[in-house]
Amino acid sequence: MKPTKKSRIPWNIKCLFCLVPSLVGITIFFVIPYFRVLYYSLIDNQFRRNFVWLDNYVKTIQNEYFQLAFKNSLLLILIAVPALILSSLSISLMLSFGLKKLRVLRTAFVLPLVIPTASAALIWATFFANVDNVLPVYLLFIWKNIGICIILMTAAFTCIDDSVFEAAKLDGAKRFTIHRKITIPLIMPTLIFSILISIVSSFKVFKETYLYYGGTNYPPQYSYTLQYYMNNNFLKLDYQSLAASAVFTSLLVFVIVIIGLLLQRRYTW
Amino acid sequence: MVKIGKAGKNIFLVLLAALFFLPVFMTVGMSFLDNNMPTFQNYADLLFDCFVFYPVFWNSVLYAAVITIIGLLVIIPAAFGFSHAKFKGKGALFIFYIILMMMPLQVTILPNYIGLRDLGLINTRLGIILPACFSPFGVVVMSRYMQSINNSVIEAMRMETNSVIKIIFHAVIPQIRICIFAVVLFVFADCWNMLEQPLLFLRDINLQTLPVFLSNTEKYAGSVLFPAAVLFMFPVLLLYNFFSDSLEKGLTFGDLS
Repeated sequence: MKPTKKSRIPWNIKCLFCLVPSLVGITIFFVIPYFRVLYYSLIDNQFRRNFVWLDNYVKTIQNEYFQLAFKNSLLLILIAVPALILSSLSISLMLSFGLKKLRVLRTAFVLPLVIPTASAALIWATFFANVDNVLPVYLLFIWKNIGICIILMTAAFTCIDDSVFEAAKLDGAKRFTIHRKITIPLIMPTLIFSILISIVSSFKVFKETYLYYGGTNYPPQYSYTLQYYMNNNFLKLDYQSLAASAVFTSLLVFVIVIIGLLLQRRYTW
Repeated sequence: MVKIGKAGKNIFLVLLAALFFLPVFMTVGMSFLDNNMPTFQNYADLLFDCFVFYPVFWNSVLYAAVITIIGLLVIIPAAFGFSHAKFKGKGALFIFYIILMMMPLQVTILPNYIGLRDLGLINTRLGIILPACFSPFGVVVMSRYMQSINNSVIEAMRMETNSVIKIIFHAVIPQIRICIFAVVLFVFADCWNMLEQPLLFLRDINLQTLPVFLSNTEKYAGSVLFPAAVLFMFPVLLLYNFFSDSLEKGLTFGDLS
């Protein structure tokens, strides 16, 4: 071994330095400005800067458009997310435990993940031109997000030891029973994570609807979600109510993510 | 009886896959149709008459490529730091990254905007590029992936060199190649898709991206939109073609606990 000059900087410090670029960027573009947003949400306006504490929050919660947006975002979580999870779970079960030849079909489900939303929204708008309800948006959400769920679930299935299934089969268990009693409990952490990111992606549905309705800031009432509310306040330069709804949404997401991570830990084997 | 059930299930799966593929197929089909007659005219209109298409396409390529490359230069060391540095509060910091990764754009975009405004970067290319380079997604995915790699190679290299850069290049990157490809594909597709940031951070039409162009359905003639949508899909499909295996093997961050 060739002798090396002993470095004066300890190894651990060097590893810490590796984190610096990422931490600096996140501090400049996310953390410090976030506290400014928090500050904006507590003052009356940008020029007078009087503290009004929770006034902006109360105003936001009482705003009828905010309520409409909140209701629509909640419906998306309650209807589209379960539909997404159930369909991705059954499709990935069929792909992983069905005919090997059919595994090539996975591409059809994963591909939408990388297809640009603008291209998809265009064909959606053409195909569903005469539909006047929220269904196309839900379908677009499921189409776009099923890929990541299938990838995560399939990865979890491959981690299960085959002998578990052999043993269950020898005991005469039916396929459905095996999945219900063994496969799904074993992938519980991944399943919880998939539910978590699906809920979080449902908060992110804006691009889809914005492009689907041809770039308007005022979609039909049933598609007016929290993201529209915030986007429109941004354009109106109404920073106080934007800040209040941004802080409100961030707290909501924070709570959901923490609950998800705790559940995930609880179900880990 | 059982056999019919099985065959039925397989046929159902094939039909479902076809249904999921249909939007892509239809977009390509529509781009060659004019009043239900097959034609290349739409492409000719787009490529020869619609001059705004070239700069926005180039902008999209530039943003996505630069963000992916700089992003990797931030992500790989950070992921290495997360898996090798020892410090108090590492777990909490990682959870912070996960939460930040989960935040919707509408929450982070106002902080981004304020940060950019203070730096005087509104309405510049850097304003689009910089915040996106520090997206926490890649760091979370790659740190998780690095936990499964063989550390004895790194330990062995430490006997010979003290340079972290050399170790990352020769002992870490070869082991996480699949994950890097997956992150590249994901980050590129995400930036390629960028709509809100250019819409809110840029006023200058010459700096805009393709999704903004495609969102102006009223401004541009309908015939050029489908060809533009097809050309817009093309680069990501090309990347997907190369990296699809990695996408499925590299994104194994489902179990974060």
